[in-house]
Amino acid sequence: MADRRANNRVMFWRIIRRLLGANSGRLFVMLLALGAGAAVTAALLNLQVDAKQRLTIEFRSFGANFVVAPHDASELGTTATLPWDENVVKTIRAQAYQETPIVPFLYLVASAQKLSSPMLPLKGKQIQTVVVGTDLMNLHLVAGTKFPEVFGWEESDYENLKTECFLGERIAKQLGVIKGDQVVLLYENRAEQLGVLGIVSAGGAEDNQIFMELGTAQRLSWMNERVSLIQVSYPGTPKEIQAFWSKLASQLGNAEVRPIRQFTEGEAKIYNRISGLLTATVAIVLVLTGLCVMAAMTNVAMERKNDVGLMKAIGGSVRRVLRLFLAEAALLGLAGGMIGGATGIFLSIGLGKAVFGAAARPRLIVYPVTVALTVIVAILSAYPLRRLASIRPASVFRGEA
Amino acid sequence: MFLRLVADSFGRRPRHKLLTGAALALGMAVATAALSVSLDVGDRLAKEFRSLGANLLVTPQADSLPLEIGGVDYRPVNAGAYLPEADLPKLKTIFWHNNIMGFSPILEVPIEAWSPASMSWITPAVAGKASLIGTWAQHNVEIPDGTTYLTGVVKTNPWWDVKGQWFGEDSRQCVVGMNLLKRIGARLGDDLNVSSGDHAKWVTLKVVGVLSSGGSEDESVLAPLSVAQELAGRPGRYRKLYVSALTKPEDAFAKRDPKSFTPAEYDRWFCTPYISSIAFQIQQELLGTDVQVIRRVAEGEGQILTRVRMLLWLVTGAALLAAALAVGASSAASVIERRTEIGLMKALGAGSGTVGFLLAAEQLLLAFVGGGAGYALGIILARLLGEEIFGAAPEPSLAVFFVIIALAAGVTILGSALPLRRASRYEPAPILRGE
Repeated sequence: MADRRANNRVMFWRIIRRLLGANSGRLFVMLLALGAGAAVTAALLNLQVDAKQRLTIEFRSFGANFVVAPHDASELGTTATLPWDENVVKTIRAQAYQETPIVPFLYLVASAQKLSSPMLPLKGKQIQTVVVGTDLMNLHLVAGTKFPEVFGWEESDYENLKTECFLGERIAKQLGVIKGDQVVLLYENRAEQLGVLGIVSAGGAEDNQIFMELGTAQRLSWMNERVSLIQVSYPGTPKEIQAFWSKLASQLGNAEVRPIRQFTEGEAKIYNRISGLLTATVAIVLVLTGLCVMAAMTNVAMERKNDVGLMKAIGGSVRRVLRLFLAEAALLGLAGGMIGGATGIFLSIGLGKAVFGAAARPRLIVYPVTVALTVIVAILSAYPLRRLASIRPASVFRGEA
Repeated sequence: MFLRLVADSFGRRPRHKLLTGAALALGMAVATAALSVSLDVGDRLAKEFRSLGANLLVTPQADSLPLEIGGVDYRPVNAGAYLPEADLPKLKTIFWHNNIMGFSPILEVPIEAWSPASMSWITPAVAGKASLIGTWAQHNVEIPDGTTYLTGVVKTNPWWDVKGQWFGEDSRQCVVGMNLLKRIGARLGDDLNVSSGDHAKWVTLKVVGVLSSGGSEDESVLAPLSVAQELAGRPGRYRKLYVSALTKPEDAFAKRDPKSFTPAEYDRWFCTPYISSIAFQIQQELLGTDVQVIRRVAEGEGQILTRVRMLLWLVTGAALLAAALAVGASSAASVIERRTEIGLMKALGAGSGTVGFLLAAEQLLLAFVGGGAGYALGIILARLLGEEIFGAAPEPSLAVFFVIIALAAGVTILGSALPLRRASRYEPAPILRGE
């Protein structure tokens, strides 16, 4: 009995081998259809997860979405300040990521003047302007504007930055200052001489301001360890951002955490739209691709009428014949899914690089899911063979039906 | 005879043809849906990005430097230049007037505000120094061509959240920032006495709404532009103008200096809704102004739009590829399986050319029918998708139809070409013998 079963099994696999090997053209075509479907499935699934995450990072090109400010910075004309020390940064950092930009701002109203030559006494007009002490190296991360000059700086320039500043386009025009000049800033009875590193155009209040290192501004105003506000650019889905806000607000007792509503709300809306669009498009593409592959495979399977007829003629039961063909389909699905899935994952790495400039991280879970889906599609597409059960072998051989 | 053969092939094996056709139609439906969405999505998303508000700022050219910290201008009242309100309708006459989604003029006046309601016989009223922002909430602008256009901060600052309602234009109503309201102890529905910073003029406004903006406006009073003009003694003037415009993301071409363009390039630049060309056109229309691009909004928007568009094209490309391969495989299979038939035809004296032609005609017929059906299905899907996500369906485009039909024809022919070439080398006799 066991012997016969073993014999059966050997025969089963032998028939399958023959079925697969009999027609290399057909084998190739089936693998192609299944593999294409699997490749697209794997690529899209992999990209989809990654794209959404990337998108939240892309949104940070708008700059900061949170402002930490003192509670009572309210009455017009008064400027309250916050302490700026390790503790504050640590508290914020604890809720955020290691690379989340946290940038301090200290605002002063000071007089600015162009220094034409160190030998001559100051002349030319003094202009009242807003001076911003900040972290010049990281300013562009929260200001949402590509300050072109900022990008070229190296970590090694950091020491030099303490005696440098850069000017907004409009204040520079009014002062008649160009890159490389020297400016003098006067605040109460103190003065500071700085070199002009560059001129920026941002299209906002920044164009009327002078930017320098926080330490320089603190020295000018004698406000050590104080800042006017802190800007944070926290990446995440709308939900994560909401959670970050409520956690941070409860931890910073002496300051107020305000979302910059223009960006948090606008971004949330746009993010939901884009991610919905992506999910829907990918879902439609996957379902239709699956159906398309299935239709193509069924078409191929239906051509097996002769084989079914022959097997029945030599005494194969309907169930056994069907099992043969389903096993063949499953094998094909497995092979197609494995080849296609791997291709798709490699594809998505390349595609991620093309779109976001960073390779999509391959997610291992995608691979088994793709292979399983392909096998299911393959089996489902062989299933219509069941209808061939009613075929009478004789009529097949006579070339009827 | 030729037509009869084709018709016979369809009639004899209806299920086969149906399945091949279904594969084709489904594949082409994927392609159509993905293509239509990708073509349409740029414009729709650009509109979504307008929820970030204005991307252009118009200021007087001769203005003194604003001393602006956190959105509050610390300049003395009379410093700086003003612009005429009467010029504003001209904004809707520029070349890209349909891309102007909204604009709102702003005139800020430093004020002192107190509410009579907060006063009792033991406590005096709390007066709060603040700034009054005169603007349009929802203002009907008469455009030179005779129509009216509704615009205001509702369009340029959509994230402003007002509890209650916006003030009526030209009324004695105001909307008060929530922090200021708390500070001066007033409530919704109270009267608010407002005097200009130098106490020269004063008005009484009714608080009809509470604003929460998350910015400096939470410390201000928002009132109709005419009220601010009265308080500032500047009838018909405004200080700055926010414009929200639909734009095309800037590419390398748009970043060049317009002065360096040849006339042809200049025309191309002028006739593309780049933010720089719209800014240029506004500056030409409103004399004596500086039009600045709010880079933070415009650049971020451009970058994200470009990325999302690329992403969708990629999905489209993947969908096209998969559809093409599956359909190609399906038509290849249908040719492979017909060896006997080909052999028979050749045995009866048909040349390889005739056989190939016959099969190609069959496949093409199928491609047209399947492609057409797929296009219809895809359009329906794209409509559903568009309506679900953007509330507006993409327009069916004829170009997509032709692309789809051409793709269907190309893929089926390519798919059958290989097996056909092999088939043309068959000797009929062994095939007919079943070897």
